[in-house]
Amino acid sequence: MSAVIETRKLSKWYGNVLGLSDVSLRVEPGITGLLGPNGAGKSTFLKLVTGQLKPSIGRVLIDGQAVRNNTALFGRVGFCPEYDAFYERVTGRQFLTAMLRLCGFDPAETTARAEAALDLVELRADQDRPVRSYSRGMRQRLKFAQAVAHDPDIIILDEPLNGLDPLGKRKVIRLIRDYRTEGRTIIVSSHVLPEIEALTKEIILIHQGKILATGDIHKVRDLIDTHPHIVSITCDRPRDLALRFLKEDDVLSVNFGAAPRTVVVETGNRDRFFGRLPGLLVELGISVEEITSPDDNLQAVFDYLVGK
Amino acid sequence: MSAASSAPRLSFLQSCGRVFSIFFAFGRRSPRFKLYFVLSQMPVVIALFAQVNQVFQRQGMQSPMLFFSRGIMSFDLQFLVLLLVLFYGTSICLEEVEGRTLMYLTTRPVPKAAVILGKYAAYVLFLAVMINVGVILAFLVLNIRSLGTGAAYPVLFQFMGVLTLAILAYTAFFTLLGTLSKRALALGLMFSFGWEAVVQYFPGATQRFTIAHYLKSLLPSQTATGGLSFLTYRLEPTAPLLAVAVLLLLTVVFLAAACLVFTHKDFILSTD
Repeated sequence: MSAVIETRKLSKWYGNVLGLSDVSLRVEPGITGLLGPNGAGKSTFLKLVTGQLKPSIGRVLIDGQAVRNNTALFGRVGFCPEYDAFYERVTGRQFLTAMLRLCGFDPAETTARAEAALDLVELRADQDRPVRSYSRGMRQRLKFAQAVAHDPDIIILDEPLNGLDPLGKRKVIRLIRDYRTEGRTIIVSSHVLPEIEALTKEIILIHQGKILATGDIHKVRDLIDTHPHIVSITCDRPRDLALRFLKEDDVLSVNFGAAPRTVVVETGNRDRFFGRLPGLLVELGISVEEITSPDDNLQAVFDYLVGK
Repeated sequence: MSAASSAPRLSFLQSCGRVFSIFFAFGRRSPRFKLYFVLSQMPVVIALFAQVNQVFQRQGMQSPMLFFSRGIMSFDLQFLVLLLVLFYGTSICLEEVEGRTLMYLTTRPVPKAAVILGKYAAYVLFLAVMINVGVILAFLVLNIRSLGTGAAYPVLFQFMGVLTLAILAYTAFFTLLGTLSKRALALGLMFSFGWEAVVQYFPGATQRFTIAHYLKSLLPSQTATGGLSFLTYRLEPTAPLLAVAVLLLLTVVFLAAACLVFTHKDFILSTD
């Protein structure tokens, strides 16, 4: 698949402070999670991608075209900022209408799109209230609405779930997932791992302005072959299985999990372990209920990569 | 919703027009507009005081037009216009940066220069309306006994033209200042009540480095005459047509510079 967004040796300094360092990557259609702690450089990266900041070094390209001050591209991009900032005295409908007018739509089209976007984020009933009277969740949904109301094919969402209650988060996650199915390119940033996991397996890990890893979360995990991998197995005879694991070269430790009949194995070679596991189970005649990898998630990968 | 490509590309002028209409709509409802409108009517209050004072003194005003041209116009040109234009002009860029709403404008398919020019046009319209309404009302109050003659109206229109030129030039300058510095308000105050207030009284060519010089060149001469007049302020006026041309040129140059800065500068918005 060809990259929609491409950065080449992208770096950004704020005076002497490094915001982003030597980032070269390609983002393809679908949802890509941009994950990193606060101050990692996520917002800087997204502002560079949306042309709000000028790169100190390097380039940002969307479909091969430079982004900065390229107004022709901006009609194809929707950006939901991290900041909780609005023209507070205008109503939600007026705000959306203004943003759509700036996209070039005529009054009738603007009204239709504003109404559709308000319906999408379930703010139609509150459309004539000033934005300053909106709750945090409503404001977040309005920000999302202005990012998608003009139907862009590239959507950049900077911490879109920040400050939302669980119900609000679920609504926004559902909205973002709906857009994925329409073949768009979506980048979602977050410092909260489960949020990204709920949205995508395709990630970019960023820390201190540098990209630590990119790609499918499982592939990224596989790359860390020196990092021990934990596997949890729930079965009918956990003690027999634990005893057998202790004879294997690649098994570093064996523990019994908090859940009943669970063996937690730490292996130094994930592929070899899983390659031999079925044979072992058959050999011992053990009945397995569940096999999981508790650390096969973003938190484990992130902690390892940033050296925690 | 149909595809984004169905949105027609706006020309530069259309983009300016869209920005203008949005900020005209946003701005006219704002408490700031209402407050500034009240402030802009201070000349009317001054004129009313002058008239009431004449009533209590039981004699008519010696020369309402002199009071209007010396008192009201000096107050407007050297204080009121500068103050209101300073607040509006610097806010064109700074309110977006400080309110962190800038990204809503700079990620839309409109040139950044159109954002500056559209907002400039909206704010100049607000200022021109509020200042000129105040001047017209003050004029009517002062000339209430001679409204029928119509002899003074050309002077009123001349003064309104000068005030409008002042609004155009000063707003353009403060727009530029707002794009250049986060301390534009403080710098603008120094410029307005420091540089402009002082240097315009310097003799010789120095006074030509102020905007006020060209504005005053369009008004009836106020240069003192008499024995010690060489010690007092002496306006060395520029020819009216040249003064208008310089004011318009300054407006264009300041606006072009503001657009250039706004287009190429990185604005760092503060975090929560």
